[in-house]
Amino acid sequence: MNEQMLHIENTLFTVVMILYFAAMIFYFLFIAARKEGLARLATCLQAVGWVLHTCALVSRGIGAGRLPMTNQYEFATSFAWGICLVSLVFILRFSFPVLGAFASPVMFVIIGYAAMQSREVHELMPALRSNWLGFHVSTAIIAYGSFGVSFVLSVIFLLRDRMTGRGFLDRHIPDRGKLDIISYRSIALGLLFLTFTIVTGAIWAERAWGSYWSWDPKETWSLVTWIIYSVYLHLRIRKGTEGRAAAVFAVIGFICVLFTYIGVNTFLPGIHSYA
Amino acid sequence: MQMMKKIGRFLSSMQFAVILLVILAATCSAGSFIPQGQSYEWYAAQYSERTAALIRWLYLDDAFHSWWFVLISAFLCLNLLLCNLLRFPQLVRRCRREADPAQFFGGLAADGIADPGVFFAAMHFSGPKPAVTREGRERLFARRNLAGLWGAWTCHLGILLLIAGFSLGQLTKKEYTVYGVPGQTRQIGDTAFFLTIDDFTVGLREDDTVSQYTAEITVTEDPERSGRSEARRESAEISVNHPASLFGMKYYQNSTGWAAKVHITQNGQDLQDVVLCAGEYVPVENKPELVILLNAFYPDYVKDEGGMPKTASGQLRNPAYLYTVYYQGSVLGMNVLLQEEELTIDDYVVTFSEPQNYTLIQIKKDSFISLALAGGLLTMLGLFLAFYLLPAKACAEKAEDGSWRVTAEGSKGGAIFREQFLEAVRKAGGTAGVADRAEETEPTEKTGEAEETESTKKTVEAEVAESTKKTVRPK
Ligand code: HEM
Repeated sequence: MNEQMLHIENTLFTVVMILYFAAMIFYFLFIAARKEGLARLATCLQAVGWVLHTCALVSRGIGAGRLPMTNQYEFATSFAWGICLVSLVFILRFSFPVLGAFASPVMFVIIGYAAMQSREVHELMPALRSNWLGFHVSTAIIAYGSFGVSFVLSVIFLLRDRMTGRGFLDRHIPDRGKLDIISYRSIALGLLFLTFTIVTGAIWAERAWGSYWSWDPKETWSLVTWIIYSVYLHLRIRKGTEGRAAAVFAVIGFICVLFTYIGVNTFLPGIHSYA
Repeated sequence: MQMMKKIGRFLSSMQFAVILLVILAATCSAGSFIPQGQSYEWYAAQYSERTAALIRWLYLDDAFHSWWFVLISAFLCLNLLLCNLLRFPQLVRRCRREADPAQFFGGLAADGIADPGVFFAAMHFSGPKPAVTREGRERLFARRNLAGLWGAWTCHLGILLLIAGFSLGQLTKKEYTVYGVPGQTRQIGDTAFFLTIDDFTVGLREDDTVSQYTAEITVTEDPERSGRSEARRESAEISVNHPASLFGMKYYQNSTGWAAKVHITQNGQDLQDVVLCAGEYVPVENKPELVILLNAFYPDYVKDEGGMPKTASGQLRNPAYLYTVYYQGSVLGMNVLLQEEELTIDDYVVTFSEPQNYTLIQIKKDSFISLALAGGLLTMLGLFLAFYLLPAKACAEKAEDGSWRVTAEGSKGGAIFREQFLEAVRKAGGTAGVADRAEETEPTEKTGEAEETESTKKTVEAEVAESTKKTVRPK
């Protein structure tokens, strides 16, 4: 264990939280004051925050001498990192800063949750010492990040009619057709990575516990999440782009994600209760 | 007949799939909230008589093996199988049609393009090829990602194999556990194989936490039971996350616990020496109605506030043994014995010593694991194809005035593909109006469309309906 690196991580983490908070405020100001420049500033802050967040994770990795993804704190901070990354990509790819205004509060809440967790570094129990852990958890982070973004997009989709009609937001919020397709792209990314997560998790469980699927609550809930998003896919094909049903399922899907991540550990103990 | 057709259509429909998936998700969540495998009385005490009755009625005490969970999964398989069987010939035809540059295709269209090369480049199509339509008109044609059409099909096949592999595995797998300390040999279930634990080590870090459990094992086949002439034997080292395969079965280092040697003397004469794992018992050799049970072992024995025994650490600092003595089936006494202390029962004296770790090894044989794995990998491949290889095509035809008319179609690209198209038209100097669907639809080319599933047809119609409403113009 390298105490100095952990100390650096601590400092960086605080800076990142401040940056994410500032980004959120500037996104809000952008909407309130209707100035595009504020959105660009907010996106810059978010990007700088993400780079420093990456440094923080790397220093924790070096400090702990292993992948920084194995307990509630580490996974929470990685989760926020994932949402930040995926939302940045979508904001830039689709020139959609309003997405930042909705994604940054989610990011901030999750990094806030991370801040409340214990940051102690524990040595890994033998079952966790596997290369599959890296694949399993890093794919989960991308999946969860994408689902976070799709949640935000679906909320925007569902609220769109109430928010628009005022010129400024009309210009900055894409129409439903486009919102639907952006949301679909983020769920597609998330579902692909969730499938990776489940498959690598199953391979790992087989090696560690001798059984690749044992209906442990965390496994079961990741399956429920997976099913909900596949229902979203099919509803979307049937109902076309105007359908609210698919968007509602995307919201339910993210509630399942949060439950899988936090709820299961709290209410339903199982072999996964350490992470 | 009509009825049968209707039922068949429903069984293979996406609507049915959605219903089944929602029921499955609901069952799974119920199965995770309700502790599984408890008795009726337990549920009644935990919840209420009514809830307990409901749980029993719906088999939610064993949700993942209940007949209706199995039934729903079977229907899902049937649904997937029918859907994939029906879609296979459609997809083959669709692929042929999509790949044929002579076929018309619609989607988005624009006129007045000066340089089609610029248009194709802006649409990220590489190398448009010249082609001739049935009417003999020349055109440039480009397409990409035809494989993407197979995404959903591949994904569905993967899920089917995954469910099949898992279910067959559940039905046929063999599972045994063997535990013991180094030097012990035990039969693996009722098989012809015997497992010898050659060595077992617990790797400790400096801070006293466990880094790894490693066992060295040898498996020997008993010639009498196997009917072979010689005793075959294979050895391996196993540790957590590193199982080994011996004689077609897989060996996993599963867990560990404490064991100790029990030494019994009678009137000062050595009578018996056995190693007991915590939880095991031994009858006294010449008095089998007297039984010694080793309940638990405490390496660093202390008493907690309530006076109950516990261990302060994992280190062997103050070993103590919790035992129970039975005589003719009833408890004679239960207490904690420290190392070197003696327990006297009439003329017998019992001592515990040499505490050591035992290993618990799990042995499994699941012949369908590779089928399930193949299913999982196909599912991932299918999702990748469906989401990231978006099929698209475009063509350009020379109009009478010498400018070019371009058309493009990107299935699943939706609004984004349209924006990309408008941008490309703008770059290529197109100024004319853009219609979302070319007007010159040839009836022959539509036949394929009619074979699409109900769902895709609907979407296409929706797109057409939407597109006829407005004509967009590039800025
Ligand atoms: C259980 C029975 C199921 C049936 C009968 C079914 C049926 C269908 C059908 C008819 C389509 C339309 C295909 C197309 O337009 O190309 C489709 C699409 C799709 N299905 Fe299923 N499906 C089932 C389950 C699942 C499940 C559990 C998943 C899991 C993720 C899944 C993933 C997909 C995907 C990824 C697509 C393509 C969607 C897109 O690209 O937007 N399906 N399904």
